[in-house]
Amino acid sequence: MPTFAEQLVLLTIDEDGAFLPVREDSLVCALAGAALMDLAFAGRIDTDLQALVVMDRTPTGDQALDRVLEKIAAREHPAQTRAWIRELCVEDADGIRDDVLADLVKDGTLGLRRRRMPWQPRTSSYALLDAGSRRDVLRRIEDALRTDEIPDSRDIALISLLDACDVLSALLPAGAIEGRRARIDQLRKLELIGREVAGAVADIERTVILALRARSARYRRLLFRLSGVGGLAAAATLLAPRVPIPERFGPDIFALIWQDDGWQQGSGFVVAGVSIVALISALLLKITPAARLRATRWWRLSHIALGIGGLVALFVHTGFRLGVNVHAALMSCFLAALLLGALVGVSTGGAQGLRKMGIGPRLRAYLLRLHIAALVPLPALLAIHMLVVYLY
Amino acid sequence: MPAPMLKRTTLWVLCVAGTLVAVATAGIRMVVGGERDLLLVGHTTAAHRQIEMACETCHAAPAFASSAVAAEALNETCRNCHEDELLAAADSHPRKLFRAPRMAIYRQQLDVMQCTTCHLEHRPEITRAGGVTVAPDFCAACHSHGDQDIRAARASHAGLTFDTCASAGCHNYHDNRALYEDFLTTHGDAPWLAPKPVHGLSALRREARQELVSASHSAVAPVAPPAALVGPIVDEWAGSAHAASEVNCAACHAPAMASAEASLAALEAQWIDAPDTTACTDCHDDEAATFARGRHGMRQHPAIAKPRDPLQGLDAIGLGSVVPDAVATWIADAPLPTHMTVAETRLPMRTEAASEVLDCGTCHRPHAVDVERAAVAACASCHDDAHSRAYLASAHYTLWQAEIAGEAAPGSGVSCATCHMAKARRRGAVVASHNQNEILRPSTKMIRPVCLDCHGLRFAIDALADTELVASNFQGKPDVQVESITWAMQRLSAAH
Repeated sequence: MPTFAEQLVLLTIDEDGAFLPVREDSLVCALAGAALMDLAFAGRIDTDLQALVVMDRTPTGDQALDRVLEKIAAREHPAQTRAWIRELCVEDADGIRDDVLADLVKDGTLGLRRRRMPWQPRTSSYALLDAGSRRDVLRRIEDALRTDEIPDSRDIALISLLDACDVLSALLPAGAIEGRRARIDQLRKLELIGREVAGAVADIERTVILALRARSARYRRLLFRLSGVGGLAAAATLLAPRVPIPERFGPDIFALIWQDDGWQQGSGFVVAGVSIVALISALLLKITPAARLRATRWWRLSHIALGIGGLVALFVHTGFRLGVNVHAALMSCFLAALLLGALVGVSTGGAQGLRKMGIGPRLRAYLLRLHIAALVPLPALLAIHMLVVYLY
Repeated sequence: MPAPMLKRTTLWVLCVAGTLVAVATAGIRMVVGGERDLLLVGHTTAAHRQIEMACETCHAAPAFASSAVAAEALNETCRNCHEDELLAAADSHPRKLFRAPRMAIYRQQLDVMQCTTCHLEHRPEITRAGGVTVAPDFCAACHSHGDQDIRAARASHAGLTFDTCASAGCHNYHDNRALYEDFLTTHGDAPWLAPKPVHGLSALRREARQELVSASHSAVAPVAPPAALVGPIVDEWAGSAHAASEVNCAACHAPAMASAEASLAALEAQWIDAPDTTACTDCHDDEAATFARGRHGMRQHPAIAKPRDPLQGLDAIGLGSVVPDAVATWIADAPLPTHMTVAETRLPMRTEAASEVLDCGTCHRPHAVDVERAAVAACASCHDDAHSRAYLASAHYTLWQAEIAGEAAPGSGVSCATCHMAKARRRGAVVASHNQNEILRPSTKMIRPVCLDCHGLRFAIDALADTELVASNFQGKPDVQVESITWAMQRLSAAH
């Protein structure tokens, strides 16, 4: 019988080997919850009002689960389920997923393939070699939702976990989940799970929902705020009056950074360097979902931070001077890319609000395309700017 | 290859190709030939506007030269055009002064050996009058410490700040011909207005012209193909100094004619309806030379870079033998138009004058050769700044009107040209320099050759330091009182 974690990972890979567009937060929490549910069903852990406790330290034989069990058992002071979910999301979700993927590759369910896209780093992807395993899990879920029969307690737990983590919506056809909402709620309320694990699974499920909401809200708030800061900084660069060069002779930081050739060159190279690193982080962000989960968030935040860093470097280089001719075009490209990038971040961070207005995903997609389009002329304009400066 | 990947690859290829084409195009324009307007990092000063796109005039170093070589070449080009001017101004801070080892400490503060330390081009934001781009209190670099500490050396300067050195009307960095101490003490007591206020050289020039025209202008008849002798131009020529000097039509319209005795048929064969400015400059070489050094005719200065040789540029980047001549010709620089139009200037100008071309005929009307029109009306027909507009309501203009009406003595009127075109004796005649720079910036340059003929030194210094009075074209008396004469006299008294 595949573990919850294995079933979860298998469900998130479609038959072409592509990962389904499941939000990383959802997946991370679902993986943590799946691991705990597996341990609960295996009788290794239980929960009470105060803490999650180990009932049996005997290894399960599953590498991912045993590592989690070992970690919980090693803890001197028992912690609440919520704390464990939070910790496993942050520290272990990627490892659980990697172990599960490795197991699935080892038993021939998945095939690992590496490829290199033009102009991009090498990426890993998985081919579904044994589509039957996935279809079997999916069929069980669909049967449970379609019929009035009472499914197996593990299937109920799996459906509850998938629904709690918002993974179910990615598995079912668009709009289907609304039609089956009543059945899903009915299944989640059934008390058919064995007495010995019922409390633990319910507790885990409840905690996963709370953790997911908290993590998601925290991350999205940070994303929204950071992007907002970047957007305001870009707008300020565009609209703020230039900072005057001091009219006094003698040492002055502004006179130094805007008039000294060395400083001008240095800050110019910093702007160029930050742009290149931001580009690399964007490429890593693009390829990361296929390999690492937690890194996605890191690269996205890094990308935004680099954008803000680029604006600071741009201020040091120009002092809000927009330049003329081809140099003004370069500055416009920079600012347009930064402003649109900030709007992409804001629309990602504020996705829930936008979704309520019915414009979330489409708006973000348009903004992202505009952000990329604004970057297209940048290398040429940057090269021309540097050529002008060094040739004249 | 799957369709999305193909689409993505195509986009990548297009972006990379577009980037390479754009960079290559810009690179060719920088090194080989072609328009470079869009590459400018900032406008030049109004003074250099005419030659803004003759980049190699100033950026004379070869492509890819080191920054030290490029800077040296750049500064040498400054001196090519302005060194004579500095010599004439008895430059107070010549480069040779700073070559002395004891000056090394000051050179570290401000590298005055390089013109570009204080006069950077393409930086309109920090460019002040005279093309100065260094902070106004730059004198502090040397005169605030050591044996050059002026506040310690002069009690009168003890409480002064360095941003007033040049702005208060006391000092200039280069030209202090009317501001040095001995001159101040010698001329400081002169009354504000001379008993007989007449600009001497202008008076001589007008008298000589009146004498010439009244003596002989009716003695010659125009010689030209009959078809050309129509309209008011004949009368205009007949009243001109050209007619008086027996400069007949052929001199300008058929310069190749061997002599005035040539047949009419030969004259018609050689006739040029609209001769270019060489018709003027062949005779008026002094005016032509100074015109080419001034703001109106700078493009004719011999030091202005010619269009680049595209083959030379292609050789520099290793493509000389690859690119066909036809392509090289296609990407070559277009030559700068010989004369600038009013529309190209960056100073306030009348919109209706935008299409005027700055050649000799624009100001002088070729047949009338009207120096009176050239001295005021021609200027006022283009220039539209406060100082120019206010002139027509000024006492100077009233005096000028009286002079040209014959109601006042020659030289008593003050035209635009009186102040902005220096007069000098050359080869027995008084000629007007067409290089406005000679007495334009700093404005105290005009004190000795112009102002002092009519006004006292104290009044002249005060008037030129009063920016509002300058803007109103000297309608009234100065509110500003420059202390330099008083302090110089006090120091002289104390010394005795």
